Order: sequence, then structure tokens, then C-alpha cells
Amino acid sequence: MPSVKGMTTYPDERLEPAPALRFLRQLAVDTQFILIGFPLGLLALVLSMVGFWLGVGLSVIWIGLPVLMATLLLSRGLATVERARIAPVIGRRMPRPHYKTSRGTGLWQRMVTPIRDGQSWLDLLHAMVRFIPGTIAFCFAVTWWAGTLGGLTFPLWEWAIPRGPDNSDLPELLGLGDAWSTRVVFYLAVGAFFAITLFPVIRGVALLEALFARALLSGVNELREQVVEAEAARDTARAQKAAAVSAEAIALRRLERDIHDGPQQRLVRLAMDLGRAEQQLATDPAAARATVAEALTQTRETLDELRALSRGIAPPILVDRGLQAALTALAGRCTVPVELDAPPFGRLDPAVESTAYFVVAEALTNVAKHSGATEVRVSVQPVQTGLMITIADDGVGGAGMDKGHGLAGMADRVRAAGGVLSIDSPAGRGTTIRVALPV
Amino acid sequence: MRVVIADDAVLLREGLIRLLEENGHTVVAAVGDGPALVAAVAQHRPDVSIVDVRMPPSHTDEGLRAAVEARARVPGTPILVLSQYVEVSYADDLLADRAGGVGYLLKDRVAEVADFIDTLERVAAGGTVLDPEVVGQLLVRRRRDDPLRNLTPREREVLALMAEGRSNTAIARRIVVTEGAVEKHVRNIFTKLALPPDDEQHRRVLAVLAYLQS
Repeated sequence: MPSVKGMTTYPDERLEPAPALRFLRQLAVDTQFILIGFPLGLLALVLSMVGFWLGVGLSVIWIGLPVLMATLLLSRGLATVERARIAPVIGRRMPRPHYKTSRGTGLWQRMVTPIRDGQSWLDLLHAMVRFIPGTIAFCFAVTWWAGTLGGLTFPLWEWAIPRGPDNSDLPELLGLGDAWSTRVVFYLAVGAFFAITLFPVIRGVALLEALFARALLSGVNELREQVVEAEAARDTARAQKAAAVSAEAIALRRLERDIHDGPQQRLVRLAMDLGRAEQQLATDPAAARATVAEALTQTRETLDELRALSRGIAPPILVDRGLQAALTALAGRCTVPVELDAPPFGRLDPAVESTAYFVVAEALTNVAKHSGATEVRVSVQPVQTGLMITIADDGVGGAGMDKGHGLAGMADRVRAAGGVLSIDSPAGRGTTIRVALPV
Repeated sequence: MRVVIADDAVLLREGLIRLLEENGHTVVAAVGDGPALVAAVAQHRPDVSIVDVRMPPSHTDEGLRAAVEARARVPGTPILVLSQYVEVSYADDLLADRAGGVGYLLKDRVAEVADFIDTLERVAAGGTVLDPEVVGQLLVRRRRDDPLRNLTPREREVLALMAEGRSNTAIARRIVVTEGAVEKHVRNIFTKLALPPDDEQHRRVLAVLAYLQS
């Protein structure tokens, strides 16, 4: 069943900066990430290694445990900093993962808890090994920036390089000759090469470092979140199914009651009358004729009741002519004047048409029976991903799910179709029912 | 006969009134719920009452319980209970006080006017009448080692008609045999089922039912 989560009536309009500006901004972010990451990586390495091995080594005497705990907490701190740092690089916020919290308040409990927490150990591991991608990235970054800046500004500083008689520049070694222009062009070309490949390279190594960090620092957490999301989706689907089953059961029970109290009684009476007529045929034909006339009336009334019932199950006009025609018929039948705003839809999914129809039908019945309103406004509008239904009256208000006005059944129907229902009914100020249905 | 009617559907109440009056009976009271029935029976002491099982407020078995209460108040007052479908436990409740003058029919039977009036008169006279469908259901739910299997088809027929509360004469008329043949079948049935023989109609029904439900 489609959910209504993706549905939005007012699209978000964020202003996008010019592409060139975006590139430059990303480049700056990545570069600062790599440059700062290098010394941080070394610092983290030193602290984590020292702390860890000290803790392990000293664990034979009691002080090893608190040292270990302190190291883990320190790693956690570094990890939190790192998560914040990688967010602009990979373009996603990194939420703080779930850490085990200590259940007791004793000193021992509080000390042991970080040691029992898996994510803290992952943080420690990251602190120990992050200098590897960090250093690789740093080397690439420095090289490429130097190449770019140096190459492109070569004419500006090449005069400052001391050139002794034995000096051989790279172009000369490559056999391109010793001319000043050749050198300039060569180094400019090199600079251009570095400049063109600057963005992809920096981006690549920054992502390398950031994704490495993310895998260790948030990987487990993301898995856990996916599981939670999947479970939530499954629970929603189950609730929808339960609502559907419940709505159907309620509707069927109501149908049985209606059939029993209406057409069924009439048909029993009809059988009685015809039996009496048969009896009277021999003895009193005039009375028999009168009885048969009564029986005819019963038949006609039974047919009317059956017709009304069938409208309650699958209204023929909805099935044949679609939602707009059916809504118009509903509006025409309502004893309170109805202002209907519904454009011609074209055929929708039968479940959606049926839910929309019954929501409006039930609401109008309530208006006629309980609200004492002078006017009702019904609006059924197609929106981005569905239908928006609004029924507003100016009656006495005070409607609620528990009042036995069939609103609970309506809510079940709406939920079963994957939609949402809201009732706004302050006492004395009319009732507004809003339903959003996905298509 | 003087009759009290209890049914919450106005249509059916009126139909019954016309039907009874066209057949020479008088309806002394027509009510729509259980307490009113009990009051009417106590007040009018009718020759028979016709009661619908399903009545307000809960529309389950108010009528039945009112009938039982009316029988407690006015012991032995004949009551014919009508219901939309067969519910064997209703029969149990009705026959619990072991007095005669009780009937349980499906509402559809009312259409067969002559039979209905006849049933009414039998109940008023102290007989016990059960709808053939009720008896049919009782005959269906049997144990594995079923002594009913020893009965011949004809004897099963006679057993069913006995359980419906018919007299030997009526049974003979129904299956078109002589009354003597019916008596022979009845004797065989009682022997095969190891029931003590009993000619009194009402006790016979009780015995057969008790057997069928054990």
C-alpha cells in the first residue's frame, strides 16, 4: 500500500547556488578536511595506542581498567569530532550513534560500561588506524595543490630559482630544449593538468578518508537504523491490514443487520401475505385480492430497501460513472444544502474512489443527522500524490471518534487505504473533516 | 383462541394479527419486547403466545428468556417460539421445565398458513412441537458408535416425526401408512434405542430429544 510519507502539497524551494560556486565550496571543504585530518590522525594514533597498550599492560593491577576506560572515552570524543567533520564532505549529517549507558550508578558499573560497548571499541580502532587514509589523502592533496598553484604561477616565480651552469630543468631532460618559452609552456601545462584534475582527486581522497571513517564510526549504527526502519514499515503495514480487516468486518456486520432488519423482514411478511391470499382464494376472493395488493406493496418496498443497501456496498453510479458523478449524486441527496467543489477526475483506483465516496457519504449523513447545519462545503481536490478531501459544516460541532457517529469506521477505512484523517470540531463552531488519500 | 403476540418488527406483528384473525382467533395483546410479553401473559392468561426470539435491546435471545420467565410466572402457559435460524440450545431451554405446551418453529413456516395454525392449536392443547430443521440438526450430530444406524430408513423417518411432536395419527397421515404400522415402528424404535415405551406425546418427545442430545 502506498504510504502518505512522500506526499507534500507545498514543495520545498531551496535556492541552488551557481554550479561553479558549488565546486569551489566543495573543494575548499575537502581540502580543509584533509589538511586538518593529517595532524589529527597522528594525534589520535599516539593517544589511542599509548592509552590502549598502557591499559592492557597495567590491567594486571587495578589501574589498567580506568586507563582503558579513559582511552575509550577519549576515542569516543575523537569520533564525535570526526563525525561532525565528515558531514560536509559526504553531504549527510552523521547522527550520534547509540552508546551503551550504564545501568547502575556504582563506580565499577560506570567504569565497565564503556568497555562493554562495541561502538566505543570501533571508535578506538578508528583512532588507531585513521592516520593511514589520512596520510595518503594528505600526500595527494598537498601534491596536487602544489602542482596546481606552482604550475599555474610559474612565470611569476621562476626568475627566483637559482640556475647554475649544470642545472637541467625537466623539459630539457625530456628533450624539449632549453628555451625559456618552452619551460614556461611546459610548466604551465603541468599546472593546467594538476588544475583540471584537482577537483576529482581532492574529492576522491577526501571521500576515501571520510567514508573510511563513516564505515567504522557509523556503519553499525546505520545498519541498526535500517532494521528499525524496516520494522516500523512492517508494523505500519500490519496496522493498515488490521484496519482494513476491521473496516470490512464492521461494514459487513452493519450490512447483515441492515439486511435482517429490512428486506428479510419484508420478505417474511410477503410470504405470510401470499400464504393468506392462497387461503382466501377459495373462501373470500375479494379479500384475497386485497391481500395480494398488500403483498405487491411489500415487494416494492423490499426492492427500494435492497437498492439502498446496494448503494451502501458498491454504489452503481460510482462503479459506472466515476467519483465526480457519484459525489454530485450524494450532494443532491443530502437534506442540507451542499456546495461541491470537485473537478472531473477521470478513473482512479477503485479502492481510492470507494474510500473517498464513503468518507463523503458518512460525513454527509452525520451532517444531516447530528449537526443542525445550514450549509456544508465539500471539496475533493487532486494534489501532488493523492486526493485531498475536506468536508466543512457550520453546525454544532462536538463530533468525535468515540461518539458512535461512524467516525471510527471512517478512520479505519482511511487508514486501510494508507491515508490520514483529521477531525476539527470545536463545540458550537461547526465540524471540519480532512482526509488525505494517496493514489 | 386468545393469543398474545410478541415481535419487535411491526410488519410481522401486523401480518400475524391479520393471519390469526382471518382464521378465527383473537389477538388480545401485541407487544414489542420481553418485559411487555411477561406482563401481557400474566394479565391476559392467553390460550397460546407467539414469541420472537430476537428482541430489543440486545437482539440476541431476549424473547426466549422472556418466554421462560412467562412460563415460570404462569406455569404451563403454552408458548410458540419463532426464530430466524435454528439454534438447538433454544430448544433445550424451552423444554427444560418438562411441562408441555411448548413449540419452536422457524419464522419461514408462518407462510404455510394451514400448518402454522395447526401447530398453534397443538401447542395450545399442551403438545410439544419442534421444527423439522431443529430435529434434522439433532439427528446429524451423532457419535461414532451410533445406535441410530441400526434403524431402518422408515424408522428414522418416524423418529424424526416423533421428535417434532406429532401424534401417531399425524405420523400415519404424513407418511401414508396405517396407524398400526406406525405403532409397530415406534415400538421397534424404542426397543432399539433402549428407551422405555411411552405413549404420552409430550413425554415421548422429551425422551427422544434427551436421547438424541446425549
